[in-house]
Amino acid sequence: MSAPITQPTPNWLDRMVRDYSAFVVALVAAFVVIFFIGMATAPNFLTLFNLKTIIRDAALVGIMAIGLTFVTLSGNFFLLSLKETAALSIVAFATSMSAGYGFEISFLFTMVIALISGVSQGVLIGLGGNPIVVTLGAAGLLFGLGSFWSDNLVISFRRPHGAEWLGTGSFLGLPNITVAFILIAIAAEMTLRYTTFGRQVYLIGANRAAGKATGHENFGMAIKTCAIASVCAAFVAIAFSAQFSSAHVNYFSSEFGSSGDMTIMVIATVMVGGNSIMGGYGSSLRSSFGAVFISTVDNMMVLHGFNSGPRVLAVGLMIVFSIMVFALVRRGSRSQE
Amino acid sequence: MYKIKSWVIENHDLAFAILLAICVYGYFALTNEYFATHRTGFAIMERFAVLGLVGLALTLCIIAGEIDLSIGSNAALAAVIVVRFTDSLGAFPALFIAVSVSTLIGTIQGYFIAYLRVRAIVLTVGTLMLLRGVALFVAQEKTVMLTDFRVPDFISTKMMWYFSPASLLVIAMFVVVGLFMSYTRYGREIYAIGGARKEAVAAGIDLKRPMVIVFAISGLCAGLGGCIIGLRSGTAQALGLQYVLLAGTVAAFIGGVSILGGKGGVIGAAIGTLTVNFLNTGLVFNVTPAFMVQLYLGVLLMIVIMFQTGSRFFDDYQRRQQILFDVDARKAPLLARKAESLKRKNNIQFG
Repeated sequence: MSAPITQPTPNWLDRMVRDYSAFVVALVAAFVVIFFIGMATAPNFLTLFNLKTIIRDAALVGIMAIGLTFVTLSGNFFLLSLKETAALSIVAFATSMSAGYGFEISFLFTMVIALISGVSQGVLIGLGGNPIVVTLGAAGLLFGLGSFWSDNLVISFRRPHGAEWLGTGSFLGLPNITVAFILIAIAAEMTLRYTTFGRQVYLIGANRAAGKATGHENFGMAIKTCAIASVCAAFVAIAFSAQFSSAHVNYFSSEFGSSGDMTIMVIATVMVGGNSIMGGYGSSLRSSFGAVFISTVDNMMVLHGFNSGPRVLAVGLMIVFSIMVFALVRRGSRSQE
Repeated sequence: MYKIKSWVIENHDLAFAILLAICVYGYFALTNEYFATHRTGFAIMERFAVLGLVGLALTLCIIAGEIDLSIGSNAALAAVIVVRFTDSLGAFPALFIAVSVSTLIGTIQGYFIAYLRVRAIVLTVGTLMLLRGVALFVAQEKTVMLTDFRVPDFISTKMMWYFSPASLLVIAMFVVVGLFMSYTRYGREIYAIGGARKEAVAAGIDLKRPMVIVFAISGLCAGLGGCIIGLRSGTAQALGLQYVLLAGTVAAFIGGVSILGGKGGVIGAAIGTLTVNFLNTGLVFNVTPAFMVQLYLGVLLMIVIMFQTGSRFFDDYQRRQQILFDVDARKAPLLARKAESLKRKNNIQFG
């Protein structure tokens, strides 16, 4: 009898030894150990209230990250103009609200503006412009427009307004923004997994030449994905504005919040979640978990009494870590470069 | 005259940059009586000292086909370090430490980009955040300040109407990097990996060496720029200097680099930065708010991108037309012969 042609399926330990180098395993293991030690020693970490806080913190960045995931999966890297899109949207929303137009009309108005900005960036990217440079220029343009429109002032609107349910309301004990985050995460995952459009996103991201050969050009895909990312950013802006009943273009800049620049936080979320930045590999669920994860680490460090410096440093380390692990694991496979 | 014409045709990107610079300068010189004075010239050169370095760094990175997104963070880190340690150590040791740290960071980035074989934007977006964290850590989340103002006074001393020690240093840096890029093998390797990376690697260039050199120079420029801006104003913020990335990219693109890499040069970077500085200074003269400068820069970058994408389409179109023309030219004698033979056959049959 000759030896059997098919080998027995290796168990998970064998597979890990085969696929991952000792360095990668050690890195991941060290990280997991630090994470659990931090979790066990942080005071008041494992309470229901704190858990809700974590998810609420994750919601805003998470929604933007889900939007950006579409762009990243389709192989267009990332948009550097997310913060600025949100800044323009928040100004548009607050201006419309303070003029007394009501929630629905303001919402639609903001979405239309975000769509226009997203589609025009998408057209330039789809025509072959480099996504980074295009969105860097668009960032300056949108931020300038937002500042020009609002005259660099804080726009506020009076408290009993139509958007209060979104900003401060809650549903079954969860804040409505958290509920929106969960719903958007489910919808995005369903779209990516079960619709034709979702599969096209993966195809174009994984192999652009094959996509082109089968009639799936990047032109339309860039427009659609940029529009989705911009609409998600606008939604975050609306939720933020509804919470504060005011707007200013600097609300998403690092000068305002302590946790760093919003655009970079969103990109960090997408990367830390484990999506391949080259496209074609990952899911929006990973981005959602990435948001929750970053928010958990941030929360843990706050409970340990760290300042903003070490917290920004930790997020930066997580990004570099995820890039390195990804590059080392996928070395030699077709999906790199 | 013929020489000028052929030079313009050969270097049309540079010619366009010079024309744009003259137009911007001319516009502000005509609309504002104080613009064309040597005092304004000095102010422009002072801005050039910082933005020129960033423009130079980004030009080199784009020539190599990559973009260094972490340049603003690197500059902010250097500024924080130099301002924090100048009082206790003296200006030169602090400058040395800050610039070495920035150069080292750049070198490590370049090494990892080549070793991990990732695109630079992927790694530098991570280090963008990481270096901000380090800078916050060094500054202890505060705005650091100098107490002794002799150093700021020294580096902005006016010399020869237009220059200061800082801007002379930057001009020297431009000359050195320009000579390095044009006349050494390492400089040409940088052009090679930008223009045609696969071919360059196939021809035997080790990807690591040019990548490390490019990012080391980029880190050096960012560090020096951060030091100059920190020492000149006497203060530094860990979260500052975010605007330099946009301004530097605009400068590099006006200077004639292509996003595909392998094109452009140091002279272009200088002219591009000067154009951005004319625009900046002129807008300040016309009492424009700071955010409007960002708006104009964004518009400028979008226009340059559209121009480049359009010219790429035009080139492709022309190439296709040329191929069709060549094919037709090759086919023509064959077709003629075939027609001839057909005619003869017909003549025999029916004639």
